[in-house]
Amino acid sequence: MILLLLTVALNAPPQGTPLSGPALEQRTYEVASLLRCPVCQGMSVADSPSTVALDMKQQVRELLARGYTQEQILAYFEQSYGQFVLLKPRNRLIWILPILILVAGAIVVVTTAKKLSQPSTTDDRQPTTDAYISRVRELVDK
Amino acid sequence: MNRTVLVVGVAITLALFAILFVGLGRDPAAIRSPLVGKPAPPFALKAVGTGQTIDLASLRGKPAIINFWATWCVPCYQEHPVLVENARMLPGVQFVGVVFNDTEDKINAFLRERGSSYPTLLDEQGKTAIAYGVGGVPETYFLNRDGVIVAKFAGPMSTEILQSNLAKAMQ
Repeated sequence: MILLLLTVALNAPPQGTPLSGPALEQRTYEVASLLRCPVCQGMSVADSPSTVALDMKQQVRELLARGYTQEQILAYFEQSYGQFVLLKPRNRLIWILPILILVAGAIVVVTTAKKLSQPSTTDDRQPTTDAYISRVRELVDK
Repeated sequence: MNRTVLVVGVAITLALFAILFVGLGRDPAAIRSPLVGKPAPPFALKAVGTGQTIDLASLRGKPAIINFWATWCVPCYQEHPVLVENARMLPGVQFVGVVFNDTEDKINAFLRERGSSYPTLLDEQGKTAIAYGVGGVPETYFLNRDGVIVAKFAGPMSTEILQSNLAKAMQ
């Protein structure tokens, strides 16, 4: 049964060393910590007591015991649940984009502030024949 | 400068509103599964009651509906009569129930009390549910006659939802 599922989901043969004993438990916790529990609020599979998470953790344990690597196991779960299941998304843009937007925003703010603080060197006022407006302009220019 | 700021501001605001409206129009129960459009993960599970092994290959040739459920799931009680009735009315469609995190005794009691018209399979360690990306129950997958998943629905099934998704599987 497991073989039947794995031949499709994990196209390549195991690329790591089969684990057992305390090393298996340690790696199971580490890999399960990288997976999101699908029925919890922001909890990892390693930390969640839900039955779905326990099933997922057991599957991680079995795959590590068979010699599958962390990458292969994460790819297997991603294939079923999508990138949602990964607590550390593969797409680096997700981490970089907010910083880029913040820097771009800061540049716009600084540039605009500099422009606004510089006194106007050109007189772009419309010519007027209105005596009152002319008088106001004289007073402002003094 | 002011005109440019206005145009850019309006463009950004309109884009945000567009994203908001697209999101509002989306059915939250219609989960976007990465498996939609791909061949369904294979399984071979024992049927509750008969003990007969049923695998995915045996479902090929007809559209299929795979419903993941459990006796401890309250919405599953609500949708069960809908599935039983539709399975009786649609003999050209393969209905299969897959129960996980449950016991055979409880499933048998549930089916005796509420009736059944299609095989119910027991996914003892939840491996099939994980392969299908099941988060919570009930979740239902619609397969076309080639065994490709065409739709996934999360939540209690109604006849309208079942038939609209089945139409995709019939194409």
